[in-house]
Parts: sequence; C-alpha cells; structure tokens
Amino acid sequence: MTEELMLSGCLRNNATAQEALYNRFSPRMLGVCYRFAKNREDAEDMLQEGFIKVFSQMHQYRNEGALEGWIRRIVVHTCINNLKKNKKFSDSIDITNAHSIHIREEMIPSIMQAKQVVECIRSLPLGYKTVLNLYAIEGYSHKEIASMLDIEESTSRSQYTRAKSMLEEILIRKKIIQKPKKKTNFLGAV
Amino acid sequence: MENEFYTDEFEQLLKEKADQFSMYPSKRVWHSIYNNLHPSRRWPSVVISLFFISSLMFIGYLNTGENSITRQINNSSSISTISIEETTPPSQKINNKIRVLSYSKAAQQAEAQYNNAFEDVITNETDFYTYTIVKSNRPPYLINALTASSDIKLSTATPETNNNQEGVVQTVNTYIKSNQIFADIAVSNKKNKTGSSKPSDKNKTENTPYKGNTDDLNLPSANDATAILNTSDKQAETGLTKTTEAKITPDSKDINENNALKAEEKAWIENYAFQNKPAAKKWKGRLGYQFYITPAVNYRKLTTKVKGSATPFANGDINNSISQKPGFGFEAGLGLNYAVAKRLQIKAGVQFNYTNYNISADQASHPITTTILMNDPSTGYSYSAARTSTTSNTFNTPAARPVTLHNRTYQVSVPIGFGYKLSSQDNVEWFAGATVQPSYYFGGKAHLISTDLKSYVSDPSTINSWNLNLGFETYMNFKLGTYNFQVGPQVRYQVNSTYKKNLALIEKPYAIGLKFGLTKGF
Repeated sequence: MTEELMLSGCLRNNATAQEALYNRFSPRMLGVCYRFAKNREDAEDMLQEGFIKVFSQMHQYRNEGALEGWIRRIVVHTCINNLKKNKKFSDSIDITNAHSIHIREEMIPSIMQAKQVVECIRSLPLGYKTVLNLYAIEGYSHKEIASMLDIEESTSRSQYTRAKSMLEEILIRKKIIQKPKKKTNFLGAV
Repeated sequence: MENEFYTDEFEQLLKEKADQFSMYPSKRVWHSIYNNLHPSRRWPSVVISLFFISSLMFIGYLNTGENSITRQINNSSSISTISIEETTPPSQKINNKIRVLSYSKAAQQAEAQYNNAFEDVITNETDFYTYTIVKSNRPPYLINALTASSDIKLSTATPETNNNQEGVVQTVNTYIKSNQIFADIAVSNKKNKTGSSKPSDKNKTENTPYKGNTDDLNLPSANDATAILNTSDKQAETGLTKTTEAKITPDSKDINENNALKAEEKAWIENYAFQNKPAAKKWKGRLGYQFYITPAVNYRKLTTKVKGSATPFANGDINNSISQKPGFGFEAGLGLNYAVAKRLQIKAGVQFNYTNYNISADQASHPITTTILMNDPSTGYSYSAARTSTTSNTFNTPAARPVTLHNRTYQVSVPIGFGYKLSSQDNVEWFAGATVQPSYYFGGKAHLISTDLKSYVSDPSTINSWNLNLGFETYMNFKLGTYNFQVGPQVRYQVNSTYKKNLALIEKPYAIGLKFGLTKGF
C-alpha cells in the first residue's frame, strides 16, 4: 500500500489503512520509545498512546515533510509526556569524575551492533538518557529540550555533557570503543 | 576545534546506531489501538469475556459437585500413562515414565538458564563470560541434545535417547524461533547490511521515510538457530572466535588468554545483567495485592421442592407466608491481581463472609412439638420429621413477645475471577469483573419454617458445609501514587441451597453491597 493510499484511508478511519501504516512504522517507533522507557512494556504503552494520537490527529498532517518525521515527533512528545508524569527532570544527578573523553575515529570499530549501543543508552539515569536521546539522536536543541522538560537550558546542557561522558565510559567498559591514548608530542613525551 | 570534530563524530555514531535499531511490538498494542479507534467493534472482547465467565462458572460447578476436577485430572493422567505404556516395551515402562518426567522438568530449567545466558551474549558481547559460567552449570544432556542436532550423535544414539534429545532440541528451537530478540537482531543486521553507513545530518532521519518492510526480514529458522547455538556452544568452550575478536578491540585478547575477569569488570557485568532482567520486571509490574471490604444487604429467595405432600407448605409462594426482612452482612478479603493483558486482570484470594437475614417471630412460652418437611433421598417423596420449636410465625397474627430470628452464616471463600478494564481516563479506570467463589460454611444459625407454617425450628446442622457463590462487580479504580483505590457495587449470588438436599425448603440468598478496595503493586 502506498503512503498516499494509507493517508487517505486513515483520514477516512479505515482500519486496513491504519493497520498498514502501523505495521510500517511501529518497529522503528517502538525502537524510539524503548530508548526512553524503563522497560519493553512501558515502551509498548508509549507506542500505543503515540499511535492513537497519530491516527486521531492525522488530519493535521500537511504533507510538508516526511510522514515518518511527523509520526516520530508525536511519538517522542508522547514519551516525554509519559515520563513527565512520574519524574522531575530538574533533579540533577551528579557523577564523580565527569570529564569529557575525546573520541577518535579509529577508536570506533566498524562493526557495532545497534542494540548494544541502545542498551548502553538505556542504562543511563533517566534525566541523562532523556536529554541525550533528545539532543544527540532526535536532534532537538537545548532550548527546545528545556521547554519540553520544564528545565533550564543550562541544565539541559550540563545533563547532556554528563550523559555523554557517562555513556562513553560505559561504551569503553563494554569494549565497544577503546579508551583514548594520552596525547604525545612529536618527541614522544606526554 | 579538534574536540568538537570528535564530539560530532560520536553524536553521529550514536544517531546512526539508534536509528538502525527497531523492535517489533506485541499484538496487544495493535489490538488496543484498534479498540480505541473503533469502539463499536469491540464485540469480540465481550464474547471472550462471556466465554471466560462461563468457563469459570463451569469449573466452579465441577468443583462443588461429584464431578470434581481432581477426578478428571486423575482420569486424564491415567490415559496418558496408558498411551506411554502401549508404545513402550514392558521392561522399560517404569524407567521411561520416571525419565520422561524428570527429563522434561530438568530440560525446561536448563533451557531457561541457557536462553538467558544466550540472550546476554547476543545483546552484549562482553557478557560472553557470564554465559560461559552459566553454561558450565548446564546439565550434560542439554549439551548433548544441542550438539546432537548436527545428526552425527543422533545416528549412533539409542532410539530412546534420540527421542529425548530431539525433544529438547525442538523445545529450544521453538523458544528461539519465538524469541523477540532474534527479530530485533534480524532488523538490526538487516539495517547494517542494507543501510547506509555514511553520516547523515540531524534532519535526514526525520525527513526520510522508513523503507523497510516487515516481510523482508530474514528471521533465522529453527536450524539456523540451532546452528547459532552450536557455534556459540563451541565458542564458549574454546574461547572467543575470530568473529568476536574482530568485533571487539585488540585489548580483549588479553582477557581471552587469561580467561579471567577482573573483579570490578565481573561485578559490573553481573550488575548490568541483573538490571536488565526482563522477566523479573515484567512479573513485578503486573502483580499486585489487594485488601477489600464490602458492606452488603442480604436478601433471600425461598422455594420448596415437594413430592406427594398436600400440606400448606406445598401450596403457593412460601415467601408470602413469612415475615422476613433483609439483614446486613459484609465480606472482607485479601487477594492477588495479575495483569495478563493491558485490560484484563485475573485475581484470586481468600475472603471471609458474614451473611445475615432477619425473621420476625413470636417467642413461645414453652417448647412445642412441630415438624419440618424433608425429602427421602431414595424415593424423592416428602415426609414430615418431628422437631421442637420455641418460636412462632407471626405472619398473620400479632406477636405477644416479638423476637427477631437471625439466619446467619460464616463462610471462608476462595474467589477466583477476573477484572476487565472498560475504559480509562487519566488516573481513573472503570472495571467490570466476576468471580467464582467455592465457599466453606463453618458456622451459622438456621431457622426453618415448619410444615404447617406456624413455627420456626432452629437447626444449624441443616446448613451445607460447601457451596458455590458467584460475584459480579463493577468499580472505579483511582490511582493514588503507588496505591490504587477501588469502589463500586457488587452482587453476590449463592448457586446452591443453603440447606442440605434432604430438606424440602430451598434457600438461595444474594447480597448487594458496595466494595471498597485498596491495591498495591509488588
């Protein structure tokens, strides 16, 4: 079924078209929800809520961008709203030795499973992973994130820096990336 | 400047890998969306609910009568035993029975252990060591069964061993085929193979439609899965394979050579594995315990079962010949709720019931001789049995010394049932539910009307010790933080007569109450 057919069917509340659209986008969207959620069940709940919004707001889609992008924004907002019900993102979580590790291209192995990286992201504290997901993966600015999560822009930035640092540490621990070697000058001295 | 470049690379990498990741939702998600979008087409749920209620009622009925489930189970057990015996030489009958039972139980445990470890290996390559530890504890027959799938060992094994091993291999394969993780890996691998590895800008993913199709996923077959298992099995024995070495950094070779982990690393891996246990979280999130109390008003319906008697007892509606009033009772209990689906909960527990019914009577100055009508169990014919009475029926005559008689029962029940979420909004949910309640009556009072309808005979021994009750309820569930508060009306109906079968009087009480419950998750 083409995208146009699906869209017109969904606007007429046609169950077959809705199912086709759901089947096409739900795996990727569940992947998005899973990164925000505590477990798979919560992710499925978020997905369900997100798709109900998608179908009920389908008439607002104006063909100005890709359909997936539009669906994705709704799903992400649903995830955030869901998380906001239970948690306060303004609660900053301090980590000791929060330092930035510079990543070199050669550190990153060419074969890296997506699931491993996602699981590493999910292992971060809630505030960290939410900001990291929104900024690094979903492409929201710190200003937008601050508005979405009801926090200060500076808090978003600091949370992101710490999140990235912690994630790097986890990736190194799990041997997905390698610890950077200390920089040396041309004489070999540190 | 250099730092920024590397930071962007890192973010780019995260974005790429995260976008490659996708999972397949369970069917219930689409069903819930469908029901939400098309509320008028919910009839299958209603039919299923009715079927479920009927099944529970039927099971409850079987439990109270002579056709007990235990008896049926015994029958079915003997059938399966016979089938085993028929296909087995007599000399192996006992051995085979024991072996099949113990083997299947042990194989299930081993399979679960093995799969947990295997899942960790797939999701997290460094957890290979955890897997190795788990693997070393596996029963030898599981290892044999898995290795035997290459058919070399199967050909040399005895037929009995073949069957067992094939059974275990099939069980493991079935599990692997249905395991969601393979779907996730397949999607991930598919994206790795076909997807672009070039870095893309932030808006690209949002603006690029997903081209993937659910049909073109190369999910591994049972043989593939077994092959993977065998490969992993050998890998675990010999250390990391070339593939694994290629995936991880050269530093990990040292670990391979030493074949040991630092305490800190091991603790971290174990902690990670523990925190990512899906089964434990699933179980915890679904199970809750509940305390409830239901004040209720008790009513009753009297009928008679008379054969061959022409007494006033047998004529007309007996309820019109007695001065009776509803009484107050209550039930209180503890139960467990388990959410089997998003909308459906099953529940079971223990509850105490107190029922009470009031009869207006006149206290006699001295005991009088009277009769109650009974039925002969062998012929079915009714006859009058002599009793004494100290109270009189005041239906048509004013009482000189009015007194209220209480027909009471004390019961312990085991309610088993379900709750179905009809709708929800924010923190409020509306449920409807039903329970079957096998009940034990451990005390009470019974005031029976005499054959001539003039007196009451007190005889608690006529109360049935066992009975079956049905409960129907609808309630609102309010989410209050970690607690849920329920309130709603409930009807409880007793299926069989309060009195024993040899009495011509049949009493079927019912209660209408308001249930208050408090639930908390584990």
